[in-house]
Amino acid sequence: MTGVTPTGRRIGVYICHCGGNISDYVDVAAVRDALKDEPDVVISDDPIFACSDGTQHDMIDNIQQDHLDGLVVASCSPKLHQVTFRNVAKRAGMNPFAYTQVNIREQDSWAHTHDRAGATAKAIGLIRAGVAKTRLSDPLEPLVVQTQPRTLVVGGGVTGLRTAIGLADVGIEALLIEREADFGGWVAKFGATFPNDASGAQEIADLLAQCRARRDITMYTGAELTGKSGSFGNYAAEITLHRADGDKTLTVDVGSIIVATGFDSYQPAEGEFGYGTDAVLTLPDFKALVDTSQGSLTYQGRPVRSVAYVYCVGSRQEAGNEYCSKYCCNAAIHASTLVDRLHPGVRQFHLYRDIRAYARNELSYNASREGGSTYIKFPDDTPPVVETTAQGGLEVNVTDLLTQGMELTIPVDMVVLVTGMVPRDNTALTELLKLPLGSDGFYNEIHPKLRPVETVVDGVMIAGCCQSPRTVGESVSAGLSAVAQSAALLKKGFAELDPLVARVDADKCRHDGACLTACPYNAITTIDWESKQVASVDPAVCKGCGGCVPYCPNGAIDLLGYTNAQMTAAIDELIASEEVMA
Amino acid sequence: MTTVDTRLMADLRRFGAAEIDACFSCGNCTAICPLADDDATFPRRIIRLAQVGLPDELIASKELWTCYQCGRCTDRCPQQADPSEFMATARRWAIAKLDKTRMAAAMYTSLWAAAVIATVWAVAFALFFASTRAEESRATLALFDFIPNTLIHTVGLVLIIVVFLYAVFTIVMLARGFARKQGVTAKSLFGGAAAWKRTWRAFWYAIGIEALGQKRYRQDCEDDQPGEPLYRRRWLIHALTVWGFLGLFAATILDYGLDILGLKATGTAVPIWYPVRLLGTVAGLCLIYGVTFLALRRWNRTKSGLLVSQPTDWLFLGMLFVIGLTGFLIEVALYVQPVQVWGYWVFLIHVAFAMELVLFLPFTKLAHAMYRPVALFFYGLAKQPA
Repeated sequence: MTGVTPTGRRIGVYICHCGGNISDYVDVAAVRDALKDEPDVVISDDPIFACSDGTQHDMIDNIQQDHLDGLVVASCSPKLHQVTFRNVAKRAGMNPFAYTQVNIREQDSWAHTHDRAGATAKAIGLIRAGVAKTRLSDPLEPLVVQTQPRTLVVGGGVTGLRTAIGLADVGIEALLIEREADFGGWVAKFGATFPNDASGAQEIADLLAQCRARRDITMYTGAELTGKSGSFGNYAAEITLHRADGDKTLTVDVGSIIVATGFDSYQPAEGEFGYGTDAVLTLPDFKALVDTSQGSLTYQGRPVRSVAYVYCVGSRQEAGNEYCSKYCCNAAIHASTLVDRLHPGVRQFHLYRDIRAYARNELSYNASREGGSTYIKFPDDTPPVVETTAQGGLEVNVTDLLTQGMELTIPVDMVVLVTGMVPRDNTALTELLKLPLGSDGFYNEIHPKLRPVETVVDGVMIAGCCQSPRTVGESVSAGLSAVAQSAALLKKGFAELDPLVARVDADKCRHDGACLTACPYNAITTIDWESKQVASVDPAVCKGCGGCVPYCPNGAIDLLGYTNAQMTAAIDELIASEEVMA
Repeated sequence: MTTVDTRLMADLRRFGAAEIDACFSCGNCTAICPLADDDATFPRRIIRLAQVGLPDELIASKELWTCYQCGRCTDRCPQQADPSEFMATARRWAIAKLDKTRMAAAMYTSLWAAAVIATVWAVAFALFFASTRAEESRATLALFDFIPNTLIHTVGLVLIIVVFLYAVFTIVMLARGFARKQGVTAKSLFGGAAAWKRTWRAFWYAIGIEALGQKRYRQDCEDDQPGEPLYRRRWLIHALTVWGFLGLFAATILDYGLDILGLKATGTAVPIWYPVRLLGTVAGLCLIYGVTFLALRRWNRTKSGLLVSQPTDWLFLGMLFVIGLTGFLIEVALYVQPVQVWGYWVFLIHVAFAMELVLFLPFTKLAHAMYRPVALFFYGLAKQPA
């Protein structure tokens, strides 16, 4: 016993076996019995699987029949099941923030597989600490913020245009801004594109016409996002319009922001695979040549009868871009099928490391081979060498793994460097929105599978190639996902936020200002309160990180759900348990 | 560094292999090929040489000529690239490439050219001999009074010598390619007793065991499921055609020899058991049997190696068949009374086609009869312990 006086709280404690993940190394029955005698603990039970439907029902019954007002489940990491058991509490009519998850699997049973007694003692201590924290819990209600039914789309390429239409379709006003003088981005420059051979330029023209016909879409070119204030649901976006007669600024209230700023094409260095020599082109330049060719394929007046494509230029490098752009194989393969159709007889060699013609692109790959393209696989450590002959022609030296590693010299009229995508330099925007960048320089989502378009900044989403290299279809899918996410946030007219945020006790605040600079989210501002200045946390902006709490010399800041009193009680209990054990 | 010929595939496509671009080098064909072994892995490797564009390597590949076109690779190919037809195409291409007169290329790549060339030569030979014709005796079928045997022999000899010299020229070109690729030199062939022994063994393997004995073709059929009855097994049909052809050729030469030695004048009636005549009759039966089955099989496309037939395939079989058939009709005409005047004209056709067949040796499918043993010789060399 650790000498805690009962408070009259009624707490249920459940110690999970997790199959055997916990009970194989922790004496669960002993833990259960130890907790039975803990003050305020009404129920102490040890289910085989706490997360199973049956146990969840039992917990709800217990909460209702025994009028519990606190719940502790000792099981796995809160990452896995905190939400599960909060919902159990909610369904039983208990305040979900009166629930505490104690991790006795990752932090106990799995860590101490050779010390059953020690692991059991540690479990008891951890759970007692959890009970102590729960004992002091206050009922919390979600924060409700009103939201603006308007979304700012940054970037007017194919993704941005389609996203704006999607927003308008679900009844959210769209404000579309494009930095360049024209909408359409890369796709507007392309003729036939894979996988359906539709003209990129035509697709952009169609999208633009649709956007212009919609009253709920407002569009600006030569426009940049230069300022952002407010919080999720109610951002004030400052937009600078670059006009001939000087910059103009306008401020628009928006509920969410979708960033679709696209990519840059990898630019080879001078001399990289012969780049800089005549008739050595990047894939986008070659595509433009094919798209504009009439009659036979010619380059600067000379006929092009043979082409060598060098794949993975600037991609999958040990130093530099490590990633695969995945669109380039398919764009190059598609370009070769175009050449086959428009200029039959042009001999095409594809020098590759691996062909990544995923999904239906495989069919295009087949068509390319069956059209007479020859695919030559070179070893990773022996890239092809592009040279100019004495006669002024081009030749490519390559080791062909599929022809017994023979070293071949291929005389060709043109070399196409199949270049991938690189992140755009958008430093100002990145800093303004505080968007996280991955190690590859592209924007990062919260979760690559389950939250693919949201960022850690609430209400700011990413879509298209600013996030990672992808195809038009994949980019548009992401844009429409962002539309759905925006609708989920904005369509109700209000949003519920986790109430686990910092709160300033104005009585204690002496306005030393330390917290103002400690907050990474700019959630703390100064307000006038009862004839003095005090710090105030905007709960809609606060992330609940707790970073400001230790900075306050007066102990005026508390993090709801993890108050100083709760944490101190938990620590005291843990220490007391340790001493009893010793 | 080997320089690629970017036009090779376009060149090859003129000879067939319409589906080969579908090949993605998986190697299933090599895995299933009963002839592929450590020294000769094909067809994949050979197909790759074509796809990449290495004509010198392709023509120096003896594997082109060891293939019997059994069609298993085509059955197994996941891309329906018809590798078996590719091998046949590459042989056509090689025959055409070795032929400097371009007659083979013309016949292989244009149906019209093939028809015109075959007809013109047949008609030319027929007209030439017809122009020398003398008496059509009604007493007996005196064929050599109709066309003098000396004339036939002289024309035949000249033709054989010319064709032989040309054939040697092309064979040397081919053999030099094989030798370069395989690293065979004059010294490794003839430098010392051990070298001679290896050379002789390889020669015996090529001519004795394979060309005459058809050993690997015989083995090739052993795994057939279901097994064909003996009378229409692939190797037997092919072997009977080869043996029939060689038997008839031998009978003709022997008959001429007997004439030169004064033992039996050409055209003298002899009984059926007379050795030379017996050889000719049996060989003729073999040839007719073999060619008939070959033609039936090609017509019915009974195996995957025969999905595509070129006009020149039919031309070759047709010529053999006509020569065999007219030969027997002459036999019939010789023993039927009263004398059948058509016998003289059948004889004329027989002679004209036989001459044409000899002439076409280096220019048509028959060329495999001279290139294949060369390839097998190098194959046999590679098999010999060093």
